[in-house]
Amino acid sequence: MDNIAGTKSSLSWAVHISVVALVVLWLIPTVGLLVSSFRDRDAITATGWWLSPFSVEQAYRVQPELDGVTEDNGYSVLEGNLFGAEGSGEVSGFGITARAPNAASPGQVYARFNVDVEEPDGTIDDTRLELAYPVGSDPAFPETDDDGNRILTDTAVLDRSLEAQVNGDFRYVSEGELRRAPSLYVTSLSPPRFSLENYRTILFSNGMDVAFINTFTVTIPATIIPILIAAFAAYALAWMDFKGRGFLIAMVVGLLVVPLQLALVPLLQLHNKVGIGQSFLGIWLAHTGFGLPLAIYLLRNYMVGLPRDIIESAKVDGATDFQVFTKIVLPLSFPALASFAIFQFLWVWNDLLVAKVFLPSNSESWVMTVKIADDLLGSRGGDWGILAGAAFISIAVPLAVFFTMQRYLVRGLLAGSVK
Amino acid sequence: MSPLVQGLLTIFIGVGGCVGYFFLSNLILDKVIFPTRSENPGLNINRANLVRPWLFLFPAMAALGLYLVYPVIGSFWRSLYNRSGDEFIGLGNYMTMFSDDGFQVALFNNFLWVLFVPASATFLGLLVAQLTDRLKWGNIAKSLIFMPMAISFVGASLIWKFVYANNADIGLINALRDFFGAEEPLDVLQVRFWNNFFLMFILIWIQTGFAMVILSAALRGIPEETVEAAIIDGANPFQVFFKIKVPQIMGTIVVVWTTITILVLKVFDIVYTMTGGNFGTEILPSYMMSYMFRDDGRATAVAFVIMIIVLPVMIWNIRQARAEMR
Amino acid sequence: MTARLYAGAAALALFAGMAHADGHQPFAVGEGGFSWDSFTAFADKYDLSGQTVEITGAWTGNEKEKVDAVFSYFESATGATVNYSGSDSFEQDIVISTRSGSAPNLAAFPQPGLAADLASQGLLSPLPEGSAAWIADNYAAGQSWVDLGTYADADGNDQTYGLFYRVDVKSLVWFSPIAFDEAGYDIPETMEELKELTDQIVDDGGTPWCIGLGSGAATGWPATDWVEEMMLRTQPPAVYDQWVSNEMKFDDPAIIAAMDEFGYFALNDDYVDGGSTAVANTDFRDSPAGLFAIPPSCYMHRQASFIPAFFPEGTEVGEDVDFFYFPAYEGKDLGKPVLGAGALFAITNPSEATNAMIEFLKLPVSHELWMAQGGFLTPHKGVNPETYASDSLRAQGEILLNATTFRFDASDLMPGEIGAGAFWTGMVDYTTGTPAADVARGIQERWDAIQ
Repeated sequence: MDNIAGTKSSLSWAVHISVVALVVLWLIPTVGLLVSSFRDRDAITATGWWLSPFSVEQAYRVQPELDGVTEDNGYSVLEGNLFGAEGSGEVSGFGITARAPNAASPGQVYARFNVDVEEPDGTIDDTRLELAYPVGSDPAFPETDDDGNRILTDTAVLDRSLEAQVNGDFRYVSEGELRRAPSLYVTSLSPPRFSLENYRTILFSNGMDVAFINTFTVTIPATIIPILIAAFAAYALAWMDFKGRGFLIAMVVGLLVVPLQLALVPLLQLHNKVGIGQSFLGIWLAHTGFGLPLAIYLLRNYMVGLPRDIIESAKVDGATDFQVFTKIVLPLSFPALASFAIFQFLWVWNDLLVAKVFLPSNSESWVMTVKIADDLLGSRGGDWGILAGAAFISIAVPLAVFFTMQRYLVRGLLAGSVK
Repeated sequence: MSPLVQGLLTIFIGVGGCVGYFFLSNLILDKVIFPTRSENPGLNINRANLVRPWLFLFPAMAALGLYLVYPVIGSFWRSLYNRSGDEFIGLGNYMTMFSDDGFQVALFNNFLWVLFVPASATFLGLLVAQLTDRLKWGNIAKSLIFMPMAISFVGASLIWKFVYANNADIGLINALRDFFGAEEPLDVLQVRFWNNFFLMFILIWIQTGFAMVILSAALRGIPEETVEAAIIDGANPFQVFFKIKVPQIMGTIVVVWTTITILVLKVFDIVYTMTGGNFGTEILPSYMMSYMFRDDGRATAVAFVIMIIVLPVMIWNIRQARAEMR
Repeated sequence: MTARLYAGAAALALFAGMAHADGHQPFAVGEGGFSWDSFTAFADKYDLSGQTVEITGAWTGNEKEKVDAVFSYFESATGATVNYSGSDSFEQDIVISTRSGSAPNLAAFPQPGLAADLASQGLLSPLPEGSAAWIADNYAAGQSWVDLGTYADADGNDQTYGLFYRVDVKSLVWFSPIAFDEAGYDIPETMEELKELTDQIVDDGGTPWCIGLGSGAATGWPATDWVEEMMLRTQPPAVYDQWVSNEMKFDDPAIIAAMDEFGYFALNDDYVDGGSTAVANTDFRDSPAGLFAIPPSCYMHRQASFIPAFFPEGTEVGEDVDFFYFPAYEGKDLGKPVLGAGALFAITNPSEATNAMIEFLKLPVSHELWMAQGGFLTPHKGVNPETYASDSLRAQGEILLNATTFRFDASDLMPGEIGAGAFWTGMVDYTTGTPAADVARGIQERWDAIQ
């Protein structure tokens, strides 16, 4: 007996571990989206979401304002702080060109000299030389430049130089008069940035409340009506005997595959002809039609698996089909009804296409998906932060539905009634 | 009237109308047309039972006929006409389509999808459903696996951009490659043939939740006695699962498999947003969408090819249904 | 002292623009350089109280706000109500709504091809009498705009349906003046200089170009622009027109050569950020980001005048980024060709107020009102260029008006299967290694199949 208990617990450990592994695997991409929904558009494309909780070294261009420039021996001198008057940070590197934003370390001077070089054949040429050296010491010129020409150190004339300290204090020296703000470059660790801005944009944009209510107005009837209709049809297909049943079942499966796009134009034409036009009634009918095949298919399959003896004994007791259906089959089918309800709810909730076609295009009848796609995402739909936030807002309600419905997927409901 | 009140009222009328139809129509059938409390109750009950299936089926059949059958017939007719719809060209659209390289690629890829996606999603769904069945935190685990179902396809495509992106700073795969010393980032969506599988993962990731929910409900519908009996007979957990549980929910597995297969033949969004059908990843639904509303003759022809592909699945299901009824 | 900090590896952001949306009128009537005279005259002429104009278009988000602001002046002038709804899937929505009888009054088509399609199915109504003559007189190169808006109706008769409103210049190369300055690069005046500069940047250890063709289902379109530019720079405009009409076959050596001119830049791993494999699937909205990275991941980006909408937040055109004309070969004597594209209004459901709206859109002030909000170029000769929101836009407007040759985006004029299908995917195949000749032959086969 002990032995069996042992395998049982190791098995249950295996179950726990594999479920954890699966869940983590499934969750990683979604976590990426969740994290991204708290970041702005710039940050999303700059660093991976997995790096977002950490400080990242980033390079900045700083264009300090030109006040307090002093003149020194033909050079302009500008002093200040790279992080601005109020800002603070820690300089990890700095430079004077975008190409090498961290050419020097804090405590150094980074300078550009104009210098003459002597080429191997003896001709003299001038070139630009950039190098870093400690503050207070003299620049140590290399013997030769990149092309192997000898550097004539004596001819070196300072063009511009930048020195910076860890706290961001800098001193910029440039030959002649400074007319435009210089572009200085600094690298520093930037702390993680998260904000609720995306959510704020989505939730508090004009008309989102109306869109939210519209979505519910579309979704709830468009979930319940097909379930009701399908439940009756599924019962008929599962437990009533009549000619053509097999054909009808086949047809339902066949209709599952009909692409919605085929139906849009003829149906809207029809709606316009009978006077429904673009309206809520129209969209409920459309969703009902499009959702029915799956509903009938799933429910019929579930109902046909119900124990034959209960239903037959009820019939023997004189119950009509309607009574059997409402009193026995419907309560027993609750798990299937609930699971289909979840799917239909999700599908209608996330639907954009049907809503666009069957609802009027004015903003009073926008549902959330239309509002987000056409109003918030901006031209040509490129804002990933908003998209991520919108995805999470639209997940929230269906997930809540899933949680509530999960209670109805309970074990024993069926087993209990068999006894 | 505030939109909220309007909304509630419409919900009430919509749902109420539906409940009303079934209740009243059955009431009228039983009490007015064929009253059971008449001189001939037996005959009336039989007559009523002849009519009742159609009473049950009528709303569904009407909606299906109007919303799906009617457009399908119209579309079939349309597929026999040329691009602008003014010239009857018989099977011309089908002929040009079959000789199109792009169509052949799409057909082959779709074949891969149909083989791979439903099998994987159903298997994983069943696995999760079984593993979480008696777990204390099973409901939480299930909700997390279910989450991708709730994300729109556009959102899902964005999520997977963060995985596949051809840039070690954005895409997880390339970040990992970078971490393990790869020098150049790789655009996995441009790796011919295998890129199809990368796209399939997305749909599997989404649909496992669907399979899990349905199969989980089915597993819970299995009478406890059968399982208990097997355990008493000394069956180990694997035997219980494969010999007792799986056969009992075979019907549901077929349903899940079928539903996902059909979905595979309908979902164009993933391919559309991730690769636009380039790099040899076109599948029939995305191929169809590239013609839809532009060359409807061709688009509808593709739709019918898709429907023909589903025929074996339909036949399989009819057989299954027949077997159940006996 | 306030320092302006720019995120180094910056990304994309919506261009803040100048719109003061929410239906507010950003400019007071009678003030500024706008042509208010025509506006007041228009307001006196029309009283459409109680009428509604339904309009759809592809302008969403920020652009919707701007166009809404323009329409609000129509509302205050006439008393009519304008409902504009923008849609990212406009091309699909307008087909569905016109076919099923739910069409709006007006539609703003982002390119002429789809409008021509709808016209041939009898789903559009021609512009009011005299519009063609008006366009010919009032637009720069007027007759060409008339031709671009004239399509065969259901019976095959040519009618003028489209009034162009908002034009994009495509022949622009965007660059960072600061980066050019620091590296000591000069703006190239000729294609030869551009190629030299490209090599020089590589020699200096940089990457010259950012090119991205990704655009979801429309992936590949930026490459068609490149090929069109190269056609105009290697062949006379007449050849370009023959190519558009397929009088010249797609696999003609001239077109293959133009593709290879694009390949000169895009297929060279040293020339493009991320190497040539990155070209095909990098999103076109993300690709200019490299200009703003520190260190720069590229120095130049060829894209149309709308691209500033996708620059990082706070980017100022003229300071942080600027553009130069995508130059022509000095050795070819083909002048300064300019490639462009544009949106057009067409009537999908006629009404009195709709005709009034068309009249309103002919007023210079309706153009100026968007010009002043930024992101709008117009061929309308009557507008006051002072109302352009920035010097940079004014300069783009001048490129448009001074072009020795102006040609409309060829892919927009080709049949949808080609210009918005085979050409796109063909160019993606080309950038991933298929030889130009094979790509061209494949596209021509598709074209043969639809004729």
